[in-house]
Parts: sequence; C-alpha cells; structure tokens
Amino acid sequence: MGREAYPKQSLGSLYRRIKESRVLLVGAGGIGCELLKNLVLTGFGEIHLVDLDTIDLSNLNRQFLFRHEHIKKPKALVAKGVAGKFNPNVKLEAYHANIKDPMFNIDWFQGFSLVFNALDNLEARRHVNKMCLAADVPLIESGTTGFNGQVQVIKKGRTECYDCNPKETPKTFPVCTIRSTPSQPIHCIVWAKSYLFTEIFGTSEDDAPEFDHSEDSENSEEIEKLRQEAQALKRIRQSIGSPDFARKIFEKIFGEDILRLRSMEDMWKSRRAPEPLDFDKISQQALVIDTSVTQKDQTAWSLPENFVVFSDRYDFLERLRLGELINCSLRRLSARLQDAQAKAANGDVSPVLTFDKDDDDTLEFVAASANLRSIVFGIETKSKFDIKRELPRKELVDGMY
Amino acid sequence: MDDSLEDSPSPPQEPSSKEKKYDRQLRMWGSTGQVALESARVLLIQAGPNAVGIETLKNLVLPGIERYTIVDPSVVTEEDTGVNFFVDGESIGQLKAKVCCQMLQELNPDVDGEYLTEPIESLLRNPSFLLGYSLILVAAPIFSPTLKTIAAYAWEHELPLFYIHSLGFYSYFTVSLPPCFPVIETHPDQSVAAELRLTNPWPELAALAKEVTAGLEEMNDHDHGHVPYVLLLLHYLELWKQDNEGRVPATYREKLEFRKLVEAGARTENAEGGEENYEEAAAAVLKSLNPATLTWSIREIFQATECVELTTDSPIFWFVAAAVKDFERKHHVLPLHGSVPDMKAKTADYIRLQKVYKAKARQDAAEVLANMRVIKGELGCTSEEIYERVVDDFCREAAFVRFFRGQRLPVACGGEDGEFELAGEAVEHEPTSGEGQALEDPESLMPLYITLLAYDVFINSRSRNAPPHSPDSGPTTLLNHAPGHASSTVHTDEQELSRIAHSILFRCTRSGGGDLHNISALTGGMVAQEAIKVITRQYVPADNTVVFDGIRSKVWVFRRTADMFSRP
Repeated sequence: MGREAYPKQSLGSLYRRIKESRVLLVGAGGIGCELLKNLVLTGFGEIHLVDLDTIDLSNLNRQFLFRHEHIKKPKALVAKGVAGKFNPNVKLEAYHANIKDPMFNIDWFQGFSLVFNALDNLEARRHVNKMCLAADVPLIESGTTGFNGQVQVIKKGRTECYDCNPKETPKTFPVCTIRSTPSQPIHCIVWAKSYLFTEIFGTSEDDAPEFDHSEDSENSEEIEKLRQEAQALKRIRQSIGSPDFARKIFEKIFGEDILRLRSMEDMWKSRRAPEPLDFDKISQQALVIDTSVTQKDQTAWSLPENFVVFSDRYDFLERLRLGELINCSLRRLSARLQDAQAKAANGDVSPVLTFDKDDDDTLEFVAASANLRSIVFGIETKSKFDIKRELPRKELVDGMY
Repeated sequence: MDDSLEDSPSPPQEPSSKEKKYDRQLRMWGSTGQVALESARVLLIQAGPNAVGIETLKNLVLPGIERYTIVDPSVVTEEDTGVNFFVDGESIGQLKAKVCCQMLQELNPDVDGEYLTEPIESLLRNPSFLLGYSLILVAAPIFSPTLKTIAAYAWEHELPLFYIHSLGFYSYFTVSLPPCFPVIETHPDQSVAAELRLTNPWPELAALAKEVTAGLEEMNDHDHGHVPYVLLLLHYLELWKQDNEGRVPATYREKLEFRKLVEAGARTENAEGGEENYEEAAAAVLKSLNPATLTWSIREIFQATECVELTTDSPIFWFVAAAVKDFERKHHVLPLHGSVPDMKAKTADYIRLQKVYKAKARQDAAEVLANMRVIKGELGCTSEEIYERVVDDFCREAAFVRFFRGQRLPVACGGEDGEFELAGEAVEHEPTSGEGQALEDPESLMPLYITLLAYDVFINSRSRNAPPHSPDSGPTTLLNHAPGHASSTVHTDEQELSRIAHSILFRCTRSGGGDLHNISALTGGMVAQEAIKVITRQYVPADNTVVFDGIRSKVWVFRRTADMFSRP
C-alpha cells in the first residue's frame, strides 16, 4: 500500500475515483500553492493548473512552492515543476495563460470532473463560474482576505452560483488597473477623479485613497513609465488657459498615452487593446451637439456629447469671437484655477481645486473624462447621475497632517 | 498611530526587500508583530508518520520565525511519502527530522533550523533544554507520561505549549497558555465604534462644536449640509440639556425624542430633499449617546489580582493597567481612543475635529503615564524605565485589552487496568450551554473530542507508537475503553454517546492511525495561526481547544478546564 495507505484506508473504494479524476485548478497563488500540494498528495490523477502571473518577491512568504531564484518566472510552470515531485503518480499540466483566453472553451471545461477556483479577482471568478455552469462541471470557489477565508461549492441546479448574490465591489484598486488596464466603469471613474483631475487642477498625489499599492513592486517597470507619464501631463498643466490647452490634454491622455499602452503587446493578449481617440474627428462630430447636454444627466452621453462636456468644440475660437458662452468643464475649471491663482498673494501656497461631487464643474469633468476613457477601452459608459453615485463622498484625510 | 501623532509625516522610503517579502503579513500584525516573530524559537516534538507538525512548522517558517528545532527519532517510511510533501521515495530510510529540517530551511533562508534524533524521553532527562524555546509544539502520538512531563515543565516556566493530534478525517489541538497572558492589540471588529464622549465633551471639543455650529439656522445650504454630525449632536445635546435640567437623553424614549429634535433641524427644501450630515447624526443617536460603561474585558483586568496587588516585580502590563484604572476612577471614562469616523464634512472642519480628538488622546495617555510614575514611586520601584509605547498602546486599545488565564495541558491517561480515565480532564462551555446540552446537540463536536481523547488513551495503553492496524478489531477493543464514565459525569445518554463514539472510532481506526495530508495541512494552518497570535501577542487566541471534523467541515472551539471528568 505504501504511499497511498492512509487515504486508501480512510476512503475505501472511493479512493479509486480520486485517482481517476481529472481536475482543474485556476490560480497558483496563496490558496493555489497550498491546494495544489494537497491535491497532489491526496493523489488526484490528473491536475491542470492555469495562472497568468509571474512570481514576485512579495509572494514568497506564503506561496511556498516558489523560491527566490524563481522570481519573474511563470507561477503555473514553476508550481508544476516543484509540486510534481511530491507524487510521481500524478499527471500535472500547466498553462501560463489567462483563464479567460478563448482556448479554454466550454468543451475544454467539460473535460474535468471538478474545478477549483483559487483566484484573486472578481472578474475571473465570475468567468469561471459562468463556464462551469455552461459546462455543468462542479466548481469549488475559494477566497481569503487577511485572517478570513471562505469556500463555496457550486453545482448547477443544486446550489446557488457565484453570481447569485451581488458582490461588494472593492473600494481600492491596484495602480496598474487604474492607469493601464481598466476593465470596469469604476476604474475609469477613479482614474478621472484621482489621477487626471488632481494632476491638472489639484495637488498631484500618489496616495489617493483608492490606490492600492500592494502590487506596485510586482510591476515596477510599468509603475516607472506611469510616473513619467504623469510628469509629462504636469508639464502640459503649465499652459493652462492657452487656446490649445484642451487639445494638448486630450491628445496626451486619449492619444499618446493610449498608443504607448497599446504598444505593450503582452498586456493585450487576453484583453481588448485600447483604441486612441482622434481630437479632430470627434470635434467635427461634436459640432452639432448643444452644450445644454450637461443637463441630460440620467442617460449615458454619446462620444461627441462626452467630448463637448470635457473639451472645447472645434469652433471654439470662432464662437468665442461671436461672444457665445463656452461651456466645457475643462475650460470652466481652468478659469477657476487661474482666477484663484491671480487672487493669491505672493508667497502663498499655490491654490488648487479640490474635487467635490456636489460641485457640478468638477463632477462633469470627471464624468466626461471617465466616459471617454471607457470608450477607449471598450467599457460601458455611465450617466452623470450614476457616476455621481459611484464616487466616494469625501477624501479620507486621517493621518495626513 | 505613532506616525500619525507626529506633526509632519516622514518622507516615504523605498521599502526594503525584507519589507517587500513580508509585505502582506506586515499588514496583519505590523512591524512589532514581525519583530516578535523574528525572535521566536519553536520546538517541534513528533514521532511516527504524520504531517501535522511539519505542516505547522512550514506555516511558521514562511513568515519568518527566528529558528526551529525538530525532535524526531524516526526514519522516513513509504507511508510518510503519502502524507508529508517534504519526503519522497529517495528519502525512505533516512532520518525524517534531517530531511524535513533541510527542506524547511529552503522555504525561508532567513530562518535557522536544526534537528535532534535523540528520543524526547532522553532529552527530557535535562528538561531545562526546553527553556531555549519560546513555544513548544507536540504532535501526537506521544507517550502520556512524557507529555505530562513536558506539560508540567512548560506550565512552570510559562512556555506556551500546543498539543496536536490529526487522525484520519479528524483533528484537534489544545493550547496551554501561561497562567497570565495579556493581549493589548486584540484587533477588535472595525464595526465597533470608538467612544466619542459626546455626553461629556471636554472643553476643547465643546468649544469647537459651539464655534462650528454658531449661526446654524442662518447658514447657507452648503455650509449647513456640511457641519460634521459629531458637532451637530453636541449642538443639539446642548439644546436638549437646556430643556431638561442639564441632563442628556438617557432612556430609549428620550433618545427617540432627541432623535426627532435632530431630524427636525435638517433642511429638506434643497435639491437632495434632505441632508446627509443630519442623517448621519440621527443614525448615531442610539449608539453614540450611551453613558461610558466599562467593557467586561477591562473590568476583568481591573479586578485581576495582578492589578490589585502590584509588586515591584509585576510585569509592565499590570503597572499600566493600574494606572489606567486610576485614570478611570478619577474621570469615569477610559482614556480616549482618539480616532474619528468618516463623515460628511468640509475637509478643514474634519481635520480640526480629528486634531481635537488626537490631542485629547495624547493628553489622556500623558496622564496615565503620570499615574504610572506615582504608582511606581509608591512601591519604591527604582527602575526609571518608562514604557511610553506600552502606555500609548494600552490607552488606545483600553476598551479591548484582554488577558487570558492559561492552564496546564491536561493529559489523558489510561488507568492501571487499561480502563478509560481522564485524570484532571474537564470541559467548560460557553456559559449558555451546559455540558449535557453540548453532548445532546447533534451539531456538537463534543462526542468527537471525547472519542479522540479515548483514542489517545488507547494508544498509550498499548505499546507506544503502535496504532491498531486492523480496522476490524480496532473499534471493539477501543470501545472497551469507551468513555462511559465521561458520559455519566456530563449527564448524557451513555448509549447514545457510545453509538456516536463507535462510528467515530471506526473511522479513526480505519485510517490506521495515520493522518490524511489535507486534514493535517488544514490543521497545521490553524495551529500556526494560533501560534502566531501567541508569539506576536496580537488578536484573540483560541482558548484553548479546537476540534475539527473534516467529514462535516466543522470547527469547534471551547475551553477545557480542570476536573470535569473526575469521578465524584
């Protein structure tokens, strides 16, 4: 009996079903490493492992299959190599890939007797939940946060599924999610409020309460590029009030920066690549939009509508000459900031604008720029009203003085 | 807190590689917890093919204890390769302690490890070697007299001791904490609101409320809708007191009336049809206006003998406790926590409010520190050591500081005639459920626990480390030792207990006395978690026994105390 003595004795004839099973484990992180070890030692016949990530120093205190020399290597492949040695009778298959990749289709899921979720994000959990329901394969869903953990068994027609209950959306986001790879409207809203608004009108802060820096060290190169990007934006800020200020800002954040992101092909292997926006083309479309569009706050604005709320129209100079009211939020805020700066006495701290969701100028700026970014990334846009509801009420300032 | 008390934040520094490696756990127990962990020396005593001890150690080596020692005289068998992931086919026949020690070392180069292959019995001829450790783990099976020796020594020298048994689908462990084990940082639930002292504001807070709410009626809508709710409540409390002979609302009915008064102040003819700050104020009425009462935990500390009868050698904790007690006696409140919840407010007002609270918290802590100097002086303490940090921590957490009365690890032993006997065994439940109820409750894991104890006794009544390998003869033999007399002392149906015990024993013996890797891994995780709480002196430790049923996926935590199973 040897190696299999104890499980065989405890499980009796059921043990054969474990040996003959083919299971899928999604995620090789904190839970994944431990679970993989337990599956291998228990003797599950064939285990497939999928993980998109590479190993980082901050993983080593709990993801015990990884050592210092494995840093930057794919988690799935290293985990397979290390855990494979625990039991020669187990067949291991590893994929360094995103579980949302189309190659992991319903047929593929149907090939497993059981699926384990050991993921760290809502989106992938929802995806696997959906796939398992479609393929009718039981799913064991798990998660931890701090000292808490949970396990849920999901079986089509027998139990509730992962999405049967609404999930609380997280309040903080990794910097890279906000700045490079947004996938939900809230990511774009936080970007508009905590990055774009503060860089142009406020005191730029790396430590907005919505930013979760825990993954920074894992993405240090991208973080450095993002820092440079922010500085370039700050330089444009110097030309505030100039006639082409809006164009400069627009072309920077919805053009140049997007092209840079697009060039990082690895990022878009399993995501839709962002599409830059063309200032001239959209401002032509925007000619027919009336600036009263800001009153339409219950429905999501179209691309040209968002543009009008955000930026000057193409015929801005001509209209200005005709004495028309210029109503874009960028210009309103620029005027307010310049006004405040003019009033400030020499030697005073340079005045800044602070975001307040009850302040229509700041709200419209954030709503329009968030929506424009959503369009760039192919994310659903939201109405001004909905965006106001999603925004946090007030900056937390505990410990800031 | 220490950082935020500084007037200017220190410039952010690039985290060290150690901080990066331990980043996730530092969020749980902070740098003080990590320092404690990094000076912890853990001893694991084990024998026979089981993985629970090594799994526990793995979870302590990863977060970075200082060092570990494995005492295990056994060699690797083929059965080991099925439960212990550190050993493979090639290590069969080698010393298990040696193989495991090397593999554990690989998990974290910051940790030192060593192994001893001498049997524990011979090591215990000089038990003082145990003094070199800050925590002892014993994984069953172990000879009862040996366990008794370790338990007595650990108790006498205030060494935390864990006894762990993983058997088939079941496991349990018992923690023997030192006789007095205080925990300052218990990390209470975030939803527990910090005391705001609204019913008895200090002058600075009252003045701030008066200033910010001045001309409340005449304010424009924006200002009116941004008065912080804490200050609104203080304002309306003043109005209430004018009409109520200076008293604050005390009864439920009065509070409801007071809430109406607050709600009536809100403006509703604005765009939102109401005011968020007023809604917050109304919502806080019932929970924030209670008179300051002492939490049961701090009351227990104030009444403890150690607090009442201080000596020059008393641990610092009790000096601080006594100083806080003096503070409470004088002011009828505990030192202020100092934090303010998030609320609708203008940023400038909110910061002022925070400052007033922080300043008061600092002032309270300073007074406690002064009390402590007086107490030390009265006792004639010559030491000039003043533990400001402990005082600050204690004051901040005062309502939630706990202390635990550990007890000597009870050891189940077989009687002379092989009869089941649980000398000095006892079980204490939550005050609401009697022992009998716990046994009759089908959800209870009490029968499982008693059966596992019986199993321990049985193993010991046979030759050491030789579990009953025959699944057929096991239960019958074991049931001769069935805990019949345990059931009679806990007033339950003996036959029912026997029936449950029979089925549990059947599964235990069917596993051949061995553990299942996944159950041991899970148990090792729980034990390590409790060990980390004990080492860091943070969070509330399991006090003192945890039973796990892997078939029903149920965990049961209860306090096992002396003398419950003893014969009348």
